[in-house]
Amino acid sequence: MRPGVLPLAIVAGIALAAILGPLLLPWSYDAIDWSAVRAPPLSPGHLLGTDAVGRDLLARTLAGTRVTLAVAGAAAGVALAIGTLWGMIAGWCGGRIDEAMMRIVDALYALPFMFVVILLMVVFGRSIVLVFAGIGAVEWLTMARVVRGEVLRLRHRPFILAAEAAGAGTSAIMTRHLLPNLAGVAIAYLLLTVPQVVMVESFLSFLGLGVQEPMTSLGILVHDGAEDMDVAAATLLVPGAVLVTLLVALTRAGEALRDRLAP
Amino acid sequence: MIYAVDGLMATIGGQHILSGVSFSLDAGECVALVGASGSGKTTTAFAPFGLLPAMAGGSARLEGEELIGCSGTTLRGLRARAGFVFQQPATALAPHLTIGAQLAEAWRQTGAPRPTHEELVALLAEVGLDEPERLLAAYPHRLSGGQRQRAMIACAIAHRPALLVADEPTSALDAPLRAGIMRLFDRLRQTRGLALLLVSHDLPAVAGHATRALLLDNGHVVEAGDARTVLTYPVSREGRALVTAMPRLDEPLPPRPPIGAPLLEARGVSVDYALPGWRRRRLEAVKDADLRIAEGEAVALVGHSGSGKSTLARAIGRLGPQSGGSVHWRGAALPPRARMRTGHRRLIQPVFQDPAASLDPRWTVAEIVAEPLLRLRPELDARQRAEKVRTLLDEVGLASDFLDRRPATLSGGQAQRVAIARALAPEPELLLLDEATSALDVLIAGRILDLLLRLQRTRRLAMLFVTHDAAAARKLCHRTIAMEAGRIVER
Repeated sequence: MRPGVLPLAIVAGIALAAILGPLLLPWSYDAIDWSAVRAPPLSPGHLLGTDAVGRDLLARTLAGTRVTLAVAGAAAGVALAIGTLWGMIAGWCGGRIDEAMMRIVDALYALPFMFVVILLMVVFGRSIVLVFAGIGAVEWLTMARVVRGEVLRLRHRPFILAAEAAGAGTSAIMTRHLLPNLAGVAIAYLLLTVPQVVMVESFLSFLGLGVQEPMTSLGILVHDGAEDMDVAAATLLVPGAVLVTLLVALTRAGEALRDRLAP
Repeated sequence: MIYAVDGLMATIGGQHILSGVSFSLDAGECVALVGASGSGKTTTAFAPFGLLPAMAGGSARLEGEELIGCSGTTLRGLRARAGFVFQQPATALAPHLTIGAQLAEAWRQTGAPRPTHEELVALLAEVGLDEPERLLAAYPHRLSGGQRQRAMIACAIAHRPALLVADEPTSALDAPLRAGIMRLFDRLRQTRGLALLLVSHDLPAVAGHATRALLLDNGHVVEAGDARTVLTYPVSREGRALVTAMPRLDEPLPPRPPIGAPLLEARGVSVDYALPGWRRRRLEAVKDADLRIAEGEAVALVGHSGSGKSTLARAIGRLGPQSGGSVHWRGAALPPRARMRTGHRRLIQPVFQDPAASLDPRWTVAEIVAEPLLRLRPELDARQRAEKVRTLLDEVGLASDFLDRRPATLSGGQAQRVAIARALAPEPELLLLDEATSALDVLIAGRILDLLLRLQRTRRLAMLFVTHDAAAARKLCHRTIAMEAGRIVER
C-alpha cells in the first residue's frame, strides 16, 4: 500500500463516523439521561458511558469531532485561499511588491498569535465564526511563504517563457501553468495545516475561549474529562484518543503527500 | 600497472548494464571512455569503487589489489588511493566549507598529517589557480566555474592518489576553460605520474589528449585502441555514428539556403537587471547591441557564459526585459514585451536549452503542442488542431503514440523535438534557439542539428542560434556574431 493511504483512510473514517454517527444514536449530544449519570462504559444504552451530567459520551465525542473537523476544514480553506493568492501575487510580481507583501507576512508572524485570537474573543465575544476567522487569518502566513517559494522556483522555468511565447497572457499562465504545478505542494501543506488548526481549536476550547456549551468540541471534552479523570477515566480517554489519532493520521498523510509531490 | 579492469560487469536492479569491459592504465597514461549517454561510461568508471548503486562483477585491480567483492571498510581504504572529479563542481564541493578546509580534509583522508598553509598554497598553484591565498579562505560559491573545477581537481589529488577518475570534468564549462582543464590533466600526468581515467563526450579533447580510447555502446566495448585512430577512423557502426554526429570545424560546409529580404533589425538594444534588494542597483547585461536577420538566414550568436547572448536573444524575442533600443520587424517596430499581440507573438518562437524544463510537467505532449495553436491560430477548430498537432510531431520525427505521453517519460532528445514542434506550431518566421543543443549528448545533439538543417530548407525559417559550440554554429548558420561582456565584438 502506498504511504499516506492508510492515514487518509483513517481520517475519512473518523469524519464519516462524526457526520453519520449521530443519526444512528438514540441520544443527542445535549440530551441528559437522568437515570444514568456518570455511567461507566458498556452500560445499557450508553456504549461509552455518560459524563457528569448524564450526557451520552459517544454522542458528545462524535459531535465534538464534527465541530473540530469543521473548524479545521474551514480555517485550512481560508488559509489556502488567502495564502495561495498572496503568495502567487508576491512571487509573480517580484521586486518591491514582493518585498512589501512578504514584510507584511513577517510582521504578522511576529505577533503572538494566541494573544491576538484571545483578544478577538474578548472584544467580539465568543463565537464559532470568530474562531474560524481568527485561526484562518494566521495559518495563511506559512501557506503564502510556501506558495511564493514555489512560484519563484517555477516562474523562470523555460516552460513559463514558452507559454508566453505561445501567446498565453498573465492570467492564463497563472491558472493553466503555475497553479496546477504548485497545487500539489499547496495541498500537502494544507494537510499539514489541518492538524495544527485542530490543536489550536482544542487549545482555545480547553481554555474556554472556543465553542460554547452545550455545543462541544474535542478540546472541551478533553478539558471536562481531565476534571473527572480520577472517577471516570473514559471521559478523558475517549475524546483524547480520537484527537491523537486524528492528529497523527493527518500529519502522516500530509507528510506522505508532501514527499510524493515535492521531492 | 596502476589500474587493470578485466571483464567488468555491472547490474542495477537485476538489469545488466555493463558486460565484459577490459582495459588497463599505466602511470602517466590516460584512458578515455566515450559513447552516447546511457552507454555505460560512468558506470564503468565508478562501479568498481562502490560509488554507484550497482552490483559489480568481474575484476578491477588498483595497484594489484582487487576492488570487486571486498568489504565496505577495505573498499574505503582502497578508494583513498584514487581521486575523483565530477561533472558539476558546483554540487561536488561542500557549500559550507572553505576551499582550504576541504583541501585539508581531502589531504588527510589517507592518514597524512594536517597540511601546512604553504603546502595548500603550493597545491592550488599546482592546479593553476592564481591568488591561492585568497581562494583558500573562500567558499565555493565565490569561485567561477573554471576555478571550482580546478579546486575540485586539487581536492582529488591532495592525498597523492595513483589514479584519477574524472567523469565529464569539462562538459559544464565553455570552450577555453575546457582546453585549460585538459592541459592541466596533461601536466599532472607528467609531473605526478598520475593515471587518468576520463569519461567524456568531448571527442576532439579525447583525441587530442588521451592515450587510448574505449568506445562503449549499450554496456559493451565496441572499439578500443589509440585515441586518435579510434576517433578519426572508427571501424564500428556505433563509432562512425558517434563521430559523424559531432560537428567538426574541418568538414566541408553544406550549401546554404538563399537569403531573402531583411526580416528583423535590432537597433541599440540594451538590457539591465535590477540587483536584489531595495537599493535597486542595476547590472548591465547587454549594451547597445545591433543585429540584423534576413528571411531564411541563420545567425549564430556565440560567446562565453555570462556574455549576455541569451539575454539579447530573449530581449529580441520579447521574452525578456529590454531597457533601451528598438527591434523592428520588416521595418515596423515590434511592441514591447507586455504589449505583444497574437499577430506579433506568432512571428518569433523560442526553443530553450533544457528540454525537460521547457515543457510543463503536468501537460501531455498533445496539449503542449496545441497550446500555441489554440492561442495564436484561433481560426482553427478542435479537429483541425488535433490534425495539425499530428503533422507537426511527424515533421519533427515523433510517432503519434507520443501524443498522450507526459514530459517526464520523454528522453532529452524527444523532449527537445516536442519543444521544436511547439515552436513550429504557429508557423513562425524566426526561430530563437537558445543553446538548443547544448544540454544533449553528442549523438542526440547531432540529430537535432540535422532536424534544424532540414527545417531550414523545407520551411525557409530564419534562425538565431545562441550557442557556445562553434562547430555546430558553423554547420547551421550563414554568419556568426560574437558577444563579450554584453557587447557585440565581432560580426
